[in-house]
Amino acid sequence: MADAALHVRGVTRRFGDVTALDDVGFGVEYGQVVGLLGHNGAGKTTTIRLLNGLLAPHAGEVRTMGLDPVTDGAEVRRHTGVLTETPSLDDRMDAWEAMRFWAAMWGVPKDAVESRVRDLLERFQLADRAGDRIGGYSRGMRQRLALARTLLHDPPLLFLDEPTAALDPVAARDVRSLVRTLAAEDRRTVLICTHNLVEAQELCDRVVILRRGRVLADGTTAEVIGAAAVPVALLLEVEDEQAAEARRIAADFGDVRRVEGGRIHVDGVTRHRLPRLVASLVDAGVAVYRVAPEEPSLEAAYLSLYEKGAEE
Amino acid sequence: MNWPSIFAIVRRDLTVVARAKAVMIPLVVLPIVLFVGLPLLVSFGLDAAGSELEDLLPLIEALPESIRAHLGDGDLLEQAQAYLLEYQLATFFLIVPLMVCSVIAADSFAGEKERKTLESLLYTPTTDRELYFAKLLGPWVAALVVTLASYGLYLAVCNLVLAGSIGRPVALTPLWFTVVLWLSPGVAALGLSVLVVVSSRVRGFQEAYQAGGVLVLPVVALVAAQFAGLLFVDTAMAVLLGAATWVVALGVMALGFGLFRRERLLERI
Repeated sequence: MADAALHVRGVTRRFGDVTALDDVGFGVEYGQVVGLLGHNGAGKTTTIRLLNGLLAPHAGEVRTMGLDPVTDGAEVRRHTGVLTETPSLDDRMDAWEAMRFWAAMWGVPKDAVESRVRDLLERFQLADRAGDRIGGYSRGMRQRLALARTLLHDPPLLFLDEPTAALDPVAARDVRSLVRTLAAEDRRTVLICTHNLVEAQELCDRVVILRRGRVLADGTTAEVIGAAAVPVALLLEVEDEQAAEARRIAADFGDVRRVEGGRIHVDGVTRHRLPRLVASLVDAGVAVYRVAPEEPSLEAAYLSLYEKGAEE
Repeated sequence: MNWPSIFAIVRRDLTVVARAKAVMIPLVVLPIVLFVGLPLLVSFGLDAAGSELEDLLPLIEALPESIRAHLGDGDLLEQAQAYLLEYQLATFFLIVPLMVCSVIAADSFAGEKERKTLESLLYTPTTDRELYFAKLLGPWVAALVVTLASYGLYLAVCNLVLAGSIGRPVALTPLWFTVVLWLSPGVAALGLSVLVVVSSRVRGFQEAYQAGGVLVLPVVALVAAQFAGLLFVDTAMAVLLGAATWVVALGVMALGFGLFRRERLLERI
């Protein structure tokens, strides 16, 4: 635990009668990029607020970089950068003024402020409009400025709440690339809240899925996909003359969608039943030339877990 | 206390306030109405009153000796002008710091929530106490500046435009100095300590501003009581009122320091 960047154990947080987090636990190691996934209201933002000492848990234990955010909130926030869900920028200021203000808030050394602000504004392609009031910025520009603010004090721990939500595809790609750089080269720890599951699969070493304030899954994307037992689509290639027999056997494991000669397309086969399907074919004397399951996506796993959670 | 952060918040709050027309208009208009329009109206109104001026005689005669002595030996017109400009408007003056506070404090917390800029501020490494103090200090400094500017305006109008109507300098008295430098800052501090709490518990600027408007009522009551002859504020009373105001203000602030939590603000974002 002492080595964990984030440690959450048995945390419960209520707002009146609503339980936002219910016995939540997970950990994040230094240098990891972890995705916190879940529908709106799942408890993602509440978790970030707890980890930064903006809220206190009603039960359980929270540690951020080894510190208790409840008692050492200011010290925790000195080392974290948080991109809030809305950019949270004042329309009446320009980018330079806003960045200088934030630099003062985080105690950036005075002689470093100008160069650091200039670098970040250039990095996020805002230098040309830095003297304009933020009220005239597009959503994407605001998001980029908010990201620049998050990095201003060079924090080792980043919380990014929907980092690419308002960005066009090119800007979103740049942000994903930035997150990779921050984690891989700068060895920063990143917790990303996102609805974009493709992005989460691409960026995250691990994901934690929350549903109605409870942890539904926690692990690497491969582990979560495996745990979800998501049915996959499958292409089987067998001897043409044995296609009918192969079709009969495959039908016991999934829905046969199409047969083209010896090529059989089967939907809805769960990953753990694949070896049995192959064994059944071989036992029946079918010559199997190829078994090509589609790799299930994190999105499919997420939806599957959510549906199972709803049924429970 | 992390003073650089506190000063940064104060500077930022005052900068954004100065750029908001909805906030700045009342801050500019009120002092002009009260301290340019009102003295001119009083002076020229009394001039034009003619025989109706006699209606003020009972009020002048009911004044305490200490005040009457200061009004001089001039005729009723001069005495009435001196009383209204030197005493009556001194209590009116307290509306200025309260007004400035209520507008800026409403913008400072409730306005930040409305503009969705508060959350990023809460994620900074300021403590709750620093945040609370910064949110008090900004409007208080602004109230002080506007109060001094209003006083300067009033001195200019009374002593330049209305020069000679009383025959001596107006509003350069211990009462005015006490009101401007002691009572007004206390009233501002008291108003603010209440308003920051109110402002942190409502969702929008208008709601906070309207709630803050209630604070002006005690000052209006004071002005009315003085007009009705129920109460006369002289220097001694201004000193006492100031002391009482500061004591209550510091008490409410101490309470506010104890009650102020980021968590409560977030619950209302």
